[in-house]
Amino acid sequence: MKEDKPRRSGPGGAGGGGGGGGGNRSFSRRRKFCRFTAEGVKQIDYKDLGTLKQYITETGKIVPSRITGTKAFYQRQLSSAIKRARYLALLPYTDQH
Amino acid sequence: MRHYEIVFLVHPDQSEQVPAMVERYRGMISAGGGTVHRLEDWGRRQLTFPIAKVHKAHYVLLNIECDQKTLAELTGAFRFSDAVLRHLVVNMDEAVTEPSPMAKAAQEEKEGGPRRSRDDSPFASDDDDMGVNA
Repeated sequence: MKEDKPRRSGPGGAGGGGGGGGGNRSFSRRRKFCRFTAEGVKQIDYKDLGTLKQYITETGKIVPSRITGTKAFYQRQLSSAIKRARYLALLPYTDQH
Repeated sequence: MRHYEIVFLVHPDQSEQVPAMVERYRGMISAGGGTVHRLEDWGRRQLTFPIAKVHKAHYVLLNIECDQKTLAELTGAFRFSDAVLRHLVVNMDEAVTEPSPMAKAAQEEKEGGPRRSRDDSPFASDDDDMGVNA
């Protein structure tokens, strides 16, 4: 997946990462949100493949929370859930198996 | 006594022995004064990658409450059983009795057409509503 947000390398004022960014670009992108926070999930289940599959790439990698907007609390749970599911061969480690 | 969730994978050729194995493990648990809170047989599932040169395995899920000695006995049994390809033990806080997502999916498939309610992922969609520009 390609991020088309412009990367600023200059010393410009955008220190904190959240939102904002390029002022000139006029397109609006959908606001990221954490689904687990929104739904008030108690514990991410490693058996819930439908949910977990949304957070891995086509090559089987875990999608970073900076892309998905998942809160850190849930991203930690998500990563261990995905790793458990991988151990049980419910999810792939890679697409080269 | 602690709560544990166990998933183990049985070699597909030994699939018929699963009920007997489960009975044996259940006997071990109750002999140690433990209880089985949830038992699910997910049946033979496709593995996402081959384990021990097999592509399918029989999955069994167990939610139990037992002491450490019984758990050690169980994991020992898993290890020394040639039929068990892999096992996972997770510590749980409480007894879980409602059906897992796997069992629910199997149930739905049995009842009728599987209905997908959420296939929109929270990311990777560029079809934004251009609210600002409009």
